[in-house]
Amino acid sequence: MKKLRDRVAALLDEGAVSLVIGYEEGTKRPRPLFCRNSESSGKLIFDSRCFHNLAVYVTKKELVGKERFAVTAPISTLRSILQLYVENQLSEEKLLVLTVDLNGELREFVTFEEISAYVAQFEMKRGEREQEILSKIEGMTREERWKFWMGEMSHCFKCYACRSACPLCYCTKCVVEVNRPQWINPWPSPISNMEWHVNRAMHMVGRCTACGACGDACPVGIPIDLITRKMMEDLAPEFGYIPGQPAKQGNALSSWKLDDREQFIR
Amino acid sequence: MSSSTEFEPKIIAFVCNWCTYAGADLTGTSRLKYATNVKIVRFPCTGRIDFLLLLKSFAQGADGVIVSGCHPNDCHYTSGNFHARRRWIAFRTVLDLMGVDIRRIQYSWVSAAEGSKWADLVNNTVADIRALGPYAEYQKVAEYLEKEGFDEEA
Amino acid sequence: MSKIGVFICHCGENISATVDVERVAREIGGMEGVAHAIDYKYMCSDPGQTFIKEAVKKYGLDGVVVGACSPRMHEPTFRRACAEAGLNPYLCEMANLREHCSWVHEKSEETTEKAIDLVKMLVEKVKKDKPLESIKVPVTKRALVIGGGIAGIQASLDIANTGHKVILIERDPSIGGHMSQLSETFPTLDCSQCILTPRMVEVAQHPNIKLYTYAELESLEGFIGNFKARIRLKAKSVNYSTCTGCGACIQKCPVKKIPSEFNAGLGTRTAIYVPFPQAVPNKPVIDRVNCNYYKRGACKICEKTCQVGSIEWDKEDEIITEEVGAVVLATGFDVKGTDFFPEYGYGKYKDVLTGLQFERLASASGPTFGEIRRPSDGTIPKKIVFIACAGSRDPAKGIPYCSKICCMYTAKHAMLYQHKVHGGESTVFYMDIRAGGKNYEEFVRRAIEEDTVNYVRGRVARVYEKDGKLIVKGVDTLLGGQQVEIEADMVVLATAGVANCGSEQLAQKLHVSYDPYHFFAEAHPKLKPVETNTAGIFLAGACQAPKDIPETVGMASGAAVKVAALFSNDELVREPIVAVVNRLAPPLYSTCVGCFMCETACPYNAIEHEEIKGRDGSLIRTIARVNEGLCQGCGTCVAFCRSKSIDIQGYTNEQVYAEVMSLLND
Repeated sequence: MKKLRDRVAALLDEGAVSLVIGYEEGTKRPRPLFCRNSESSGKLIFDSRCFHNLAVYVTKKELVGKERFAVTAPISTLRSILQLYVENQLSEEKLLVLTVDLNGELREFVTFEEISAYVAQFEMKRGEREQEILSKIEGMTREERWKFWMGEMSHCFKCYACRSACPLCYCTKCVVEVNRPQWINPWPSPISNMEWHVNRAMHMVGRCTACGACGDACPVGIPIDLITRKMMEDLAPEFGYIPGQPAKQGNALSSWKLDDREQFIR
Repeated sequence: MSSSTEFEPKIIAFVCNWCTYAGADLTGTSRLKYATNVKIVRFPCTGRIDFLLLLKSFAQGADGVIVSGCHPNDCHYTSGNFHARRRWIAFRTVLDLMGVDIRRIQYSWVSAAEGSKWADLVNNTVADIRALGPYAEYQKVAEYLEKEGFDEEA
Repeated sequence: MSKIGVFICHCGENISATVDVERVAREIGGMEGVAHAIDYKYMCSDPGQTFIKEAVKKYGLDGVVVGACSPRMHEPTFRRACAEAGLNPYLCEMANLREHCSWVHEKSEETTEKAIDLVKMLVEKVKKDKPLESIKVPVTKRALVIGGGIAGIQASLDIANTGHKVILIERDPSIGGHMSQLSETFPTLDCSQCILTPRMVEVAQHPNIKLYTYAELESLEGFIGNFKARIRLKAKSVNYSTCTGCGACIQKCPVKKIPSEFNAGLGTRTAIYVPFPQAVPNKPVIDRVNCNYYKRGACKICEKTCQVGSIEWDKEDEIITEEVGAVVLATGFDVKGTDFFPEYGYGKYKDVLTGLQFERLASASGPTFGEIRRPSDGTIPKKIVFIACAGSRDPAKGIPYCSKICCMYTAKHAMLYQHKVHGGESTVFYMDIRAGGKNYEEFVRRAIEEDTVNYVRGRVARVYEKDGKLIVKGVDTLLGGQQVEIEADMVVLATAGVANCGSEQLAQKLHVSYDPYHFFAEAHPKLKPVETNTAGIFLAGACQAPKDIPETVGMASGAAVKVAALFSNDELVREPIVAVVNRLAPPLYSTCVGCFMCETACPYNAIEHEEIKGRDGSLIRTIARVNEGLCQGCGTCVAFCRSKSIDIQGYTNEQVYAEVMSLLND
């Protein structure tokens, strides 16, 4: 921890970066910290409770400005950063990535290649919560799934916290704000809520890194992160991509294979 | 045709201009008959067909959807159908997860030479959807606050 | 509010027989935004189009829907009419009431209601239509002709004679195609090579034609007026710029037993060879599969023989790129071999031949110098049986179509046999005699009446060998199905004409449609027989369906005129059906966030990067831009764009959304 704080302070003092995005102690759990000078670096923490995906801030131009900045990134944040890089939203020159590895050592990544090699050693397994809910859903009949999700969807009131929390939802104008045509009705209702979440899942195919930020952000506790996680689990082997390890060219939906499955096509 | 008491499903077909639309033209030129339930919306390519349109169709009362384009390797635009096929695989996965009845979306490849295949596809799909019955499960929920103008009666 | 005019066509009775067209017009007339709705017997006729033009002016229409046939048929007609009346042509849409409604349904309430729905759908679309301007693209005035048979030769000469450059590629070592293999041609019995070879020479010498033999198309990119063709020049192993074509190498080549393709397997050739004496170019290639040197690494006799040192052992295939504005496909056809017919011995009887092999026997340049002799023992057949429709018109064999040329060439074969073998007896088994064409029926009558060819109407069930004879068992259906058995010395099968090998792959390279038998598909069976569905690519000859020489030549000239017409413009006007990335006023400039996933999805590399800069010149963001010259309008990027920042003109999100909503909301 001390190494991290010292390094951040040095970076800011040297002027190597103008901002470091990290974590500080919050009321219930760690919260994001935006260090702009070396004094505030003393508040930095970095431990297993720091899972909030900080990559959501790195595309916010009004926040990061034009100067080089740094982020102290846990594994979920690292994966999102890689995906954002492939989608032309980040450049190596502008972003310095720091992390603390499993041995408590401070690591600095100058290139995204290095990040890619680093995250490859971490598996993307279901946690206890994910396993519990997903195995329940997987055991349901189609009709039961429909009832389950319609029940959940009736709670959604379209606050779009899920969208705000997701680092990959960086569009300046989201499809729900497109009103010519009005693809998805702006008011909450079970079907249009589902349309939004199906839409979100489709937009995440091949991109979602299952960080769980969307589900975590949902104020009414809908397990929406499991929609995109399940999609990732089902489609990654079929489409031949490694979740969290984005391909350089295109993603699962902008590429194809000659022998993609088509038994369902008459 | 069916008797008047039989359920007449509402089916919408999204087809590409070069293969299936032309194939359906050939069905007409060949005077092959099929059910009136299906209405065709023309797209340049299956690659153009937005998954949201399929979803909106059910919300607006469709009981079934047909999506059809060129056979693999035959796409007028080289690879639109391959992109579409991937999109459909993903779309089916998420819909199935949500419990949407994916049997109501019939995907097909119908070439410009397959007039009779188009007639068969329509007739078979109509029969399949008729057997499944109206998509009341979806429509009932969709009635709620969904149709334009806040229809409160549901 | 829109002022839309709706025009419902009866199409004679094609639509009105099953659809209550008056009711359609009446109900649509009551729709919001519809200013004028009428029905008329023939909307595409002059008076029909005049109705539209007058209504556009009288009611100040800002949109037109014509409920008639398929837009693939008459959309250009009605759009032109609208343009003439001063309405932007892209504000005119067609509802397909004929192919998609009246022709496929019985007369009923539902049929009329479907027709109303189809028109409503297009009315809702037109409300969202925007005026569009056509796109102008430059034209490369050079044509690529693929295939050097008579179709390709004719097309090349005709295009070249209009003053435009032609690149002709042929996969064999010589041009000439099947026509060069024929002995005489029906119905005049003039020698095929005598009329063909002058044309072949003309091709080779024409200043506007660049000929590549032993070459195949590798890939074709681009679009009408602007194609890029990559051509594989297969290694000939002989340097054509120094080779004199003396033929000494061929004389000395020790590998002499290779079945000759030109002689349909009846003669042999060497490993270094010229396919036939009149070949163009008349210079050899080395067949590397059979050459001793390439097989075993030793021989090189040809090299020792060659006085000018033209043998190039290490020559490799070369890929060249040519820019062309149009492509003529003239890849011809093939015929089924005798091995396709289990009932006629699976090709194991040497004296059961295909029609093409018989041509070689009858040809003066053939293996027997024009004498009809049995391949098995070289004797002259006393009795010969011709079986027409071998494979053709036989759904059980997967070839339900008529190969068209067999009736005529079978009559010719029988006639040639009678002329060459005096006292010979010939029998033709046939299903029907299809002799449609100038002097064709007379020709067949001559065979029957003057040359006493015995025509038997019926099928042959079996051919088998017995004591050196071929026993032909068939029925004579005109004699009430009576069994006929003939002891023949030779049997000639008029085997079905089929698509050339590789035609499916070629079609896929060119993105042209093909039928279930892999013949290339024309854009319209009657009115666009030489066009394909891919603009700028035309068809000539038997690659479209089996056809005879006059028809092939006619079609080739037709395709050539289409190419010449295309080349008569410096610029080409294209439909503006292209994708567009939206543009907004600052501070957003566009809703595009520059993820460039569309770039990876685009099959045409039409997505470019555009830098949006602020007033001080600093980069605000990089967004996508569509190159409208390259974009072909598939719209894959549109469905792919998460923020709906790309849209496609003519099929915009608003338009298709309105269509879907109108179909379902009632």
